[in-house]
This record gives sequence, structure tokens and C-alpha cells, in this order.
Amino acid sequence: MKPFVRRLSATALLTTLTLTLGCAKGEDDTSAPSKGAKDSGQVAAEPTAGAKSCDLAAYGGKKLDLANATVGFSQSEKEANPFRIAETASVKAEAKKRGIKLLTANAQSQFSKQISDVQDLIAKGADLLVIAPLNSDGWEPVLKQAAAKKIPIVTVDRKINAKACEDYVSFIGSDFVEQGRRAADQMIKATGGSGQVAILLGTPGNNVTTERTKGFTERLARKAPKLKVVFKQTGEFAREKGQQVTEQLIQSKPDIDGIYAENDEMGLGAVNALKGAGKKPGEVKIVTVDGTRNAVQGIVDKWIYGVVESNPRFGPLAFQTLEDFGKGGKVGQSIVIKDSAYTPANAERDLSKAF
Amino acid sequence: MSTVNTAVSGFARRHGALLALALTVVVASLSFDSFATGDNLENVAVSSAFLAIVALGMTFVIVSGGIDLSVGSVFALGGVLAAWGSRHGPLVALALPLVVCGLIGLVNGLLIARARLAPFIVTLAAMLGARGIMLNITDEGADTFLVAKDSLFADLGRGKLLGLGFPVWITLALFVLGGVLLRRTRFGQNVYAVGGNEDAASLMGTSVARTKVSVYVLSGLLAGLAGALNAAWLTSGVTILGQGMELEAISAVVIGGTLLTGGTGFVSGSLVGVLLLKVIQNVINQIGSLDSAYQQVVSGAFLVLVVVLRVRPVRRARAATGGGRRRSPSPG
Repeated sequence: MKPFVRRLSATALLTTLTLTLGCAKGEDDTSAPSKGAKDSGQVAAEPTAGAKSCDLAAYGGKKLDLANATVGFSQSEKEANPFRIAETASVKAEAKKRGIKLLTANAQSQFSKQISDVQDLIAKGADLLVIAPLNSDGWEPVLKQAAAKKIPIVTVDRKINAKACEDYVSFIGSDFVEQGRRAADQMIKATGGSGQVAILLGTPGNNVTTERTKGFTERLARKAPKLKVVFKQTGEFAREKGQQVTEQLIQSKPDIDGIYAENDEMGLGAVNALKGAGKKPGEVKIVTVDGTRNAVQGIVDKWIYGVVESNPRFGPLAFQTLEDFGKGGKVGQSIVIKDSAYTPANAERDLSKAF
Repeated sequence: MSTVNTAVSGFARRHGALLALALTVVVASLSFDSFATGDNLENVAVSSAFLAIVALGMTFVIVSGGIDLSVGSVFALGGVLAAWGSRHGPLVALALPLVVCGLIGLVNGLLIARARLAPFIVTLAAMLGARGIMLNITDEGADTFLVAKDSLFADLGRGKLLGLGFPVWITLALFVLGGVLLRRTRFGQNVYAVGGNEDAASLMGTSVARTKVSVYVLSGLLAGLAGALNAAWLTSGVTILGQGMELEAISAVVIGGTLLTGGTGFVSGSLVGVLLLKVIQNVINQIGSLDSAYQQVVSGAFLVLVVVLRVRPVRRARAATGGGRRRSPSPG
């Protein structure tokens, strides 16, 4: 009895540690950033008339020369999917190119860790912050500390629910509603505008998921009322979860016509599930968002119909914004970047642009 | 010789984590200018507070010979309920999560103590169930309830006394109370007795079932309270919190000198365990350029090191005194 208990406790402890450590694993075929990819850096869309801007006078604080400043970068998720790998690499490369001291932290998808990460970056002496927020709400303690020290914050890829030019300087990211609309357009084209589609939702609690859903469902309701959303469940932006949810979907709705995955990883998980269920390429139309190499390859292989790009190479634009702002110039409160798209027509040609 | 060994083993078991913490703090202070600053230490203190409250409840559960895997989900649920309730005043904001999370603990305890199901399975089910309830009331996590920034409830998380946030003071007070409860009361003695040897405790007239139910209720209440305080601090009921928190809490308790087999342990060790985990995390951020994958390797390796350092002298001493296989239900 006693040795058994002892062994059990040792096993439990080991399990704890393995689970803690296990999260560090990468995904074999995706973790390596695509080599030889053309650096297709971000381009901001033309500012629309009346777009709000922000400068030092409005935000408060004194002039900063970016070249001598320390920048803190807080990444939300571990660099285990191509989007995060490309995003972090882009920020690091730009800092290196400009010779700026960069402090980095990674929250490993734990929101409470991200809060302390950013606080640590502030305590460590970051003069400016670039944050890729895991969640849109819950930033109050961080914003309060940054405000007390007048530290300019730029958020990338997801938004923080707070006041622009007061709590943070600007948000740089895609127009996620537009991405949803463009995904809907591709889905309408793929299915001919009628049938049943499923949505693999992203992680709840951030604007990316809500906006990609909103754009998709609104466009569908307006342009193709005969194309019905019959299934919605979160795949948490992860491949395994996307596969798992799709397996359930095939069980409950075997005649599904299309799947809209709110990122590539979940879309690739859906492909795995369809393969497992004996479906043929193209039998279920899959449209995804991001533009990772594996997903674009999926179009070439006919498993995926289309991919709406969401460019993760935030480095150059983020540092340019901070430099302009530090000099006293005006920067946009919401800097929207231009995203392209991959379809059967251009997938093979543009595969090298994917990340 | 054996008395020296026993003394060493006792010291290492009780204070091994404290020594490791002190050593880490000294090395970090010497290595990084920005470590031993008021701002930084306060960050560590506040971010430790919520996990520490959860770990306090976990200490009681583990000393009683059980485990509670539901605390992370209960923590998240508590935060969401508190944020939702805060629109009806600070009393509702506190009472609602405490009642619901206490009930989850009660169900856990009844299933474990009365239906004699394995704690691991029961609390695993509760972990899934509590997260399900939380997702249900937040529309799959899409709705985040906010706490008004100028409300009395928000002050509970944001306010400061003598330069330290309220959550830190509340945590310290709870640990003092928890220490007294475990070491100085009949209930505490029962927890040790049940964890040490259930049959013996039962023969001696201890109400095993009532003791077990109580520790799970306590764990649920504390996880809910920690979630509520966290929501007050963040001024929102963030829905993605608490994943993996049960493992952090268990690690902290074990590092702090409580054995997973039950029967021995003490609450101050768990507080030290939490601080050690958070200081390691802080030091990794002080380095500021470690890859995310390596960060986990470093913290994992550190954990193993601490546990090995803590366990080895104990084993050696036990071998020397020939008491290796015996566990006494005494509060070690």
C-alpha cells in the first residue's frame, strides 16, 4: 500500500512537471519558419478621411529618440504556430536592424502571466511597449502603471478595450471584420451561395474572434441568405482543437458543405478530420484566415478552397509608428494594414509569400 | 550523528523552499539592478497573491490526502461571477462567487467523502463543469463583464495600504488564519489525521467524511475568492483565466514542503512555494531575451532542482534513522 502511494505521488508530480514543460513542444511540421520566403512586409492601408490620430501633446510625455530607447515586447502565445513565429521574428529582426535594445516576454497563452510580463517589462525599464494582447479586457493594472510613467503603448494584432491616445497610443492590425467578409465572399463563390456551413471560432474574449465572426455572418446574411451557418464552436485557434471539433461536426452534420475556420491552424485540423473521415479533397469547402505556408499548400493540394491573409510581420510598422510618435509626429490611433488573399488562381504562384 | 541528520532533514524539509527563495532573491538582486526595486517587488507580491490564496486551499486538500484539480476553473468562474455581480454592489460581487464556488466544493467533497469516488476524477469533472458554467454565462466566453472602475468592489483589488495592494494584505491575513486553523484547532488536527491514516483516524473517532467535505468546501471558497479579487484588480471578469492554475498551485504546495501523500505539510511553505514560482518567472523576464520555449525549460528545471534538494536530505535522514517507510500523522 505505502510503496504504491509513494509511486503514485511520484507519478503525479512527474505528470505535473511534464505538463508544465510539455507545453514547450513545437509542432513538427510548422514550427520552422518557412525558409526563403520573400519578406512581404506590412503596408498600411490609406488612412480614411477623418481617421483619428495621436501625438505626444495629446498623450502626454516627452520626446523620445527611438534609437536610444529600450523597447519591451510582450507576446501572447508561445511561438508554436506560424503566425506567432513570424510576428516575433519580425519584431526581433526590426529591433536588430535598427540597433535598438529589445526586451521580450512570452505569456504562453496565460493571461495572468501576460499582465505580470508587461509589469516586469515596465519595471525593467522599457521606455516604449509593443503588446500583442492575449485578451482584450483586463488591462487596467498595466495601463495604470504605464500611464504613471507615461510609457507609450502600441498594441499589435489584437486590440485592448481602452481609450486610444489616452490609455494606449495606437493599434496596428488588420480589419478583422473585412477579413470575415472576404472569407464569406470566398465561401459563397466556393459553394455557389447555398447549403450549410460551419464556423470554427477562435479563442473567446478577444476582438479578432468576434470581428471575424461578425464580418462572415453579416456578409452571408446579406449576399447569400440560402447559405446557412448551422454549427459554431470554438477551436481556440489551435490545430488539435480544430480537428477535434470538426470530428464532432462530421458526426452530427455529415452533409456539411463548407467550413470557415477563423485561422489556418484550425483549418488544417479540419483537413485532418476530413481525411480521417474518408472525405475527398474539395468535398467540403474550407476557407481560412492567416496565410501560413501549410494552408496555402492546402489550396494547391485542393483540400482548402481559399485563405484570407492576415499579415503578421508587424515589426517595421510598429517601430516606425513608435519612432514617429517619439519625435512628436502624428500617428494614427488605429493603423489598419492591407491584407491579400490566396485562391486556387494564385496559390501556387504566391506560395513563397506565405509565412 | 542521527540527531544531526534529523535536524538537518527537518530543517531542509521545512525551510528548503525558503532557502531556495532567499538564494534566488539574493542572486537576482546582485545580477539585475531592476530586481530589488519597490515597483518590481510589488509586482511580484500582487501577482503572487491570487495564486497564493488558491494554494492555501490546496494545502488543506493535499494534507488531507486528496487533490483538487477544479481550482483553476473555479477561479475563472469566481472572477466572472464577481464581475457580473458587481453591478449589484460589492456585497453581491463577493457573495455570489463565494456561494457558487463553495457549492462546487461541497459537491466535490460529498462525492469524494460519501460516494467514495477518487478525488482526481471528481475534481477533474468539476474542472470541466465549472469552465462549462463559466462559458455558458459568457456566451462561449465572448461576453466579458466589466467592473466599474470607481466602484467600491474595484477598490478592493486596486486599493493600497502602506504601499502594498489590498490583495496582498488579504492574502497575508488569510495565511495567518489558515496557519492557525491547520495547526491550532481540532479541525486542523483532523485534517492531518485523515491524511496520515484514514482508518486509524476513523478508529480514533475522527469524522473522516466531515473533515474531507470541509477541506473541499474551503478549497472552493478560496479559489472563488481569489477569482473575485482578481476580477476586482483587473476590473473585468476575464474568461480565459485559470487554465493550468491547478498545476501551479499543486507545484507551489509541493515545493513548500507538503507531501502529496498527505498527512504532513504546513501553509507557510505553500506561500513560499508560490513566491518562488513567481520570482523565477520574474527573473526570466529580467533576463529579457530568453526564447519562450527555453523559459519553460528553465522554470521546469528549477522546479526539479528545488524538489530534489528538498527531498534528498529527508531520504538520507530517514535511511539513517530507519524510519523510511513510516509516516506519522503528526503535523511535521
